[in-house]
Amino acid sequence: MTQTYVDLDVRPILRGGGEPFEKIMKTVEGLRPDQGLRLYATFKPIPLLQVLGAKGFTFDARELDGGDWEVLFRRATAPEPAAQALPATPQDETEWPEPAQHMDNRELDPPEPMVRILAAIEELESGQVLSALLCREPTFLFPELAKRGHAWRGDFEPDGTTYKIFVRVGRRADTSLT
Amino acid sequence: MEFTWRRLHRRHLAGNAVMHGTNLSRWTMSYFVVALGALLLGEILMAAGYGFPSAPIRAPETLVLVHVVAIGWLSLLLCGALFQFVPVLIARPLYSDSLPLPTLLFIVAGLAGLVLGFLQRAGTIDSGVPLLPYAAASLTIGFALALWNLGRTLCTVRPLALPARFVAVALVCLAATVALGVVFSLVLGLNIRHGALLKVAGQGLPLHVVAGIGGWLTFAAIGVSYRLLAMFMLSPERDGRRTQAVLWLGTAALAIAILGGLAALLFDKGLHLALLAGGVLGLAALGLYGMDVLHLYRARKRRVIELNSRMAALALISLAAAAIMAVVLIGLGQLSERIGAVVFLLVFGWLSGLGLSQLYKIVAFLTWLECYGPVLGKTATPRVQDLVDEARARKWFVLYYLSVWAATAFLLAPHLLGFRLAVAAMMAATLGLAVHFARSRLLSQVSAQSGLPEGARRPHLLVSIPRPS
Repeated sequence: MTQTYVDLDVRPILRGGGEPFEKIMKTVEGLRPDQGLRLYATFKPIPLLQVLGAKGFTFDARELDGGDWEVLFRRATAPEPAAQALPATPQDETEWPEPAQHMDNRELDPPEPMVRILAAIEELESGQVLSALLCREPTFLFPELAKRGHAWRGDFEPDGTTYKIFVRVGRRADTSLT
Repeated sequence: MEFTWRRLHRRHLAGNAVMHGTNLSRWTMSYFVVALGALLLGEILMAAGYGFPSAPIRAPETLVLVHVVAIGWLSLLLCGALFQFVPVLIARPLYSDSLPLPTLLFIVAGLAGLVLGFLQRAGTIDSGVPLLPYAAASLTIGFALALWNLGRTLCTVRPLALPARFVAVALVCLAATVALGVVFSLVLGLNIRHGALLKVAGQGLPLHVVAGIGGWLTFAAIGVSYRLLAMFMLSPERDGRRTQAVLWLGTAALAIAILGGLAALLFDKGLHLALLAGGVLGLAALGLYGMDVLHLYRARKRRVIELNSRMAALALISLAAAAIMAVVLIGLGQLSERIGAVVFLLVFGWLSGLGLSQLYKIVAFLTWLECYGPVLGKTATPRVQDLVDEARARKWFVLYYLSVWAATAFLLAPHLLGFRLAVAAMMAATLGLAVHFARSRLLSQVSAQSGLPEGARRPHLLVSIPRPS
């Protein structure tokens, strides 16, 4: 669907020690539905990939000669079927399928709940969802999920003590050994 | 640059109420290594008969010893731990991952200056330039950086979880401790003769000690212990009325003792009333904390608990013993002569005991996560408990606590040689534990049995290297 790209070069701002984030977000807000963003930065802007991924953009990042990066952001055409490419974001607004597997890890000693979730995910197909009950917010699990390209949603249950997390398995290519 | 982006990222995502994870704190291991070195140095000094009790409690030699232990060991241990665990307490990332290194360097440089400054006052070294004000400046910068980093991290969440509120109060007390220390250094080092400063410097030492040991170190340790004990024993988190009462009574005790004490000094009254009122409230808070801790141990779902939780219990018993000892000594009218024994038990039994017992678990856990995190679930990995040797560590812990309690008894007796021998045993136990922590960190326990799986990373002793996303 994307036809054209709006170019934005934030390298001068970054080299000058400035903060290009507001400018990037302003440019993104000004994009027409058929427009994408071509961003030039001095490094791979990983947090931004997640921020724009959460806004429904897919991206294509490549390193240029000299160590700079060019990132092409495109709007995803429609809410994607689960089995297709999934943005590696902790949050999106699409409908998730029913969990393919449930786990109750509340009685396990830390860090066993995290180990079991990561092991179970390896057995699931891309796009499938795992749900798990935990006895606390798994703060050390989130970075592992992000690094492996999985998406997650979670919150405490009304009882205030059980934490329920849903993990949607990302693209397999993202989860290989690094 | 990464720092700037991360901060922006955080600000943006906070608005979207996204769940944040906790990454490994890069410099926490460096803090732990320096801290353990300082503890060993302090023990060597005491065993060698340097400072209290061989010298008077206010002698410069004692001040060298006290600050090596309070800043070098306990404060660096706590700062390193908080950079890692405040993000866990509030489920938000640390404000800056870059600041902890300059923080560490300023604090270590400041401590070195402080020690040299006290040695000048003791006449051990001869130098025309007074070093105390420079040391105070460096320490102030270091602790201000720590306060800024942890404060900005805590500011991102409302309302704060209960354990984090204890940490917030502790940070305010750290600021008070440093401020009082700066006043002392100005009066002692620069000979400033300002009226109010003189009054504070003349009689304010107990306030510096209360703010440092009671406010900063003990209050933070209590806050962190609520979460760690619940986490490792699978106990329900404590956040009911009694725990709130511990927070408010403790905060009131510290405010009355420190602020009330300062006001008393400035209006030329004695500290007695403020310390007494603060002490009564503080004991009430400790009593309720003790009931909470008993509940945490009794309500645990995990019947067989690991060594860190068992050894933490001995630290908690030391805290209770120190509180009871203080009350008994007040009753006997001997608190001022025997205060050294109470402080010794608080510092080495309670704070150091708790610190060592948690290091045993924390070093192994952080190392395990750093090394095997990338391959968890993908291949067979050792468990956290495979990185430690519980039977061997238990012997060192038992020796440590027995020698701390013996040393306390020798201080009460008083028996100088017995004390020095007991501290030598403490030093041996600390060395044994330090070697044990290093072996965990370097995977000595598991490397012998199996090599590293493909994709796992061998950790560095001093630094945790972040993994690229």
